[in-house]
Amino acid sequence: MNSPIAGNQMSRFFQQVAEYTRNAISAGKYLIQGLAVTFDHMGRRPITVQYPYEKLIPSERYRGRIHYEFDKCIACEVCVRVCPINLPVVDWVMNKETKKKELRNYSIDFGVCIFCGNCVEYCPTNCLSMTEEYELASFDRHSLNFDNVALGRLPTSVTTDKSVQPLREFSYLPKTIMDPHEMDPTNSRAGKLPEEVMDWMKQESESAPKDLVESINNQDKKTEK
Amino acid sequence: MTVLGTLVSTGLDLELSFNNILQGFGFSPEVAHILWLPLPMLLVLSAALIGVLVTVWLERKISAAAQQRIGPEYAGALGILQPMADGLKLLVKEDIIPAKADSLLFTLGPVLVLVPVILSWLIVPFGQNLLISNIGIGIFLWIALSSIQPIGLLMSGYASNNKYSLLGGLRAAAQSISYEIPLALAVLAVVMMSNSLSTVDIVNQQNGLGFLSWNIWRQPVGFVIFWICALAECERLPFDLPEAEEELVAGYQTEYAGMKFALFYLGSYINLVLSALLVSVLYLGGWGFPIPIEWVARIFGQNIDAPLVQIFTGSLGIVMTILKTYLLVFLAILLRWTTPRVRIDQLLDLGWKFLLPIGLVNLLFTAGLKLAFPIAFGG
Amino acid sequence: MTISSSTEQICFILLGLTVIVGALGVVLINNIVYSAFLLGGVFMGVAGLYLLLNASFVAAAQVLVYVGAVNVLILFAIMLVNKREELKPIKALQIRKILSAGVCGGLLILLFRVDLTTKWSTPGPAAIGEKATERIGEHLFSDYLLPFELASVLLLMAMIGAIVLARRDVLTSDVVTGDVVNQNLIEKSNEPILIDQSNKQ
Ligand code: SF4
Ligand code: SF4
Repeated sequence: MNSPIAGNQMSRFFQQVAEYTRNAISAGKYLIQGLAVTFDHMGRRPITVQYPYEKLIPSERYRGRIHYEFDKCIACEVCVRVCPINLPVVDWVMNKETKKKELRNYSIDFGVCIFCGNCVEYCPTNCLSMTEEYELASFDRHSLNFDNVALGRLPTSVTTDKSVQPLREFSYLPKTIMDPHEMDPTNSRAGKLPEEVMDWMKQESESAPKDLVESINNQDKKTEK
Repeated sequence: MTVLGTLVSTGLDLELSFNNILQGFGFSPEVAHILWLPLPMLLVLSAALIGVLVTVWLERKISAAAQQRIGPEYAGALGILQPMADGLKLLVKEDIIPAKADSLLFTLGPVLVLVPVILSWLIVPFGQNLLISNIGIGIFLWIALSSIQPIGLLMSGYASNNKYSLLGGLRAAAQSISYEIPLALAVLAVVMMSNSLSTVDIVNQQNGLGFLSWNIWRQPVGFVIFWICALAECERLPFDLPEAEEELVAGYQTEYAGMKFALFYLGSYINLVLSALLVSVLYLGGWGFPIPIEWVARIFGQNIDAPLVQIFTGSLGIVMTILKTYLLVFLAILLRWTTPRVRIDQLLDLGWKFLLPIGLVNLLFTAGLKLAFPIAFGG
Repeated sequence: MTISSSTEQICFILLGLTVIVGALGVVLINNIVYSAFLLGGVFMGVAGLYLLLNASFVAAAQVLVYVGAVNVLILFAIMLVNKREELKPIKALQIRKILSAGVCGGLLILLFRVDLTTKWSTPGPAAIGEKATERIGEHLFSDYLLPFELASVLLLMAMIGAIVLARRDVLTSDVVTGDVVNQNLIEKSNEPILIDQSNKQ
């Protein structure tokens, strides 16, 4: 074994050791960085909603349990046809004398419904609507099969329930505020409220030239066709 | 308070007075001794159990805080009673033994896991005389006992007759065998400095200059090695492969329910507390106050041997030990939510290719330093 | 007889029974896993006997080495190759059993003879208790240095052998036949885990 090769090998070995040590130290540094992040999180406010005591206010377009008005329904069965699984059960008989359908029962099984909202969209008489109710848990899946009486009940609103602390959802919060707990309830949400939008639209239509408004209206009609 | 006082001044006094009382009732000294024997054991058992309850609660609360949740809240103030509720639930749950399982080994497994861990509490000192037995082999007993655990894990993994259980058991055994060696090497370096295996001597050797003389300054590498290995032995998160829930359902505990599962659960948490205790004993000066208590006593003009001061220092020692321990438990929980789980090959690589050579070098280095600077590194 | 000595005797009898029954179980039980677990029990019993003899360091070493390492490795090996296969019936098994029983019995008789003919000095040398650890260390590095070193060389050889067996990429060809060893079996990723990936780009 001659010395230059041995020296070379030695220096390579020491290089490797140095590299190894550097890697180990950098791994330790990353670990400490991660620990700092976790530690930092411990000082923050909990972002969770304490569910049975606090509830989020569902947004306006929330697709919850379906509400149904028996008196408006004409038993046309459109809802059944548009439903992806033909779910609503429309129980009617033909009255021979008046030659009219007579509705006897109507039911939707929420154990099967996917809350797609097709039935609500297409009902010609608007007797179906989606509510904000989502607490449908039950001990027996058959009790999820709502008949027309159950479907006709209105849900209790989170905001009027005295036992519940209503919390605003993210979309209802003012700009830059992330946590509903730390917000003043009088603050209004980011963007315009529906009535403000309404006012604004009225102003616009007054100030805008007539033909523009008409053209917009025509467009609306076209899409309706 | 008087009980504590006698306990502090000399460990035997409590036993003596207990024996005297019993002899006053007409028992022979030997019977009195036999009646005395289970008491320290019961004390240790309850200390371990309470330690576990506190740790479980802390784990839940700290985990919740790290994830911006609240954690248990309604069982007692701040959810303090939640671990008890957990335990109660496990107690009354049905004890299931799978039909195809080997019922004898299935029952024996959890026991074999728990008993060595509890036995290791024998050597944990909370003060100069506040430990069950100051045996000469001290820390070595712990290393020996902790090597029994994998047998229990293998046993329960095999007896469950379930592939996940078996894999979990095998992983647990492989893991604890590989991490025992660097662990022992790290301990050996400390032992070399204190010239004794006894935990009491190890602590005494560290408490000359307060926190400046703690072993962590003289053995920083050993501290890191020991902590990593202790986490691996406890199967805490970066190394929780034996029960990796995404891969193995729950590893060797998969088939267990009720009290047998509770034994595993207890075992893992007692082990965590024990490891934290031993880290504080080996590297953080055990029951020692950061400033030597003699100096404080001198500043206040108190005699260190006065009974009241003794009581004070004794309780301070217990508080310090527990404080250090739970600081380390906190670190373990923080690590749990920071680090991802390592793969099995990474785990073995880390153990054999990283910790083992570094442990050996550390040992060599310590020996050299001990020869070069006998004052600082234990002559 | 004091309570302590009678406790000692009870412990001795119990431990002795554990060791004997366990050892018999290791040999006689057909289920190999049970045998392995019983072996662990026997080792523990022996450790208990050491404890009774005031040799706590030896007892702990016994537990660490035999229970914690040897027995776990045996179990590990058994469980890794846990194949339930029907073994071929061995011819003349009965005769073999009788023969081996005869050998074992002969050994036992020899042991008894040694036991009975030796003049045991009772009581033996006083137990040194806690000092035993240091004394063992002194012996290991003075008069028992050669056996100690020989044992470590033996272990080193075993270790190197294991490494050669495990890392077959050391051998490019089979030792016996000279064929090229199938390199596909070799684990491909030997990358250390602590590599810093950032400076690779
Ligand atoms: S919401 Fe969708 S799935 Fe449910 S009943 Fe209506 S159409 Fe059917
Ligand atoms: S579509 Fe509307 S009106 Fe027609 S049956 Fe369904 S609910 Fe009744």
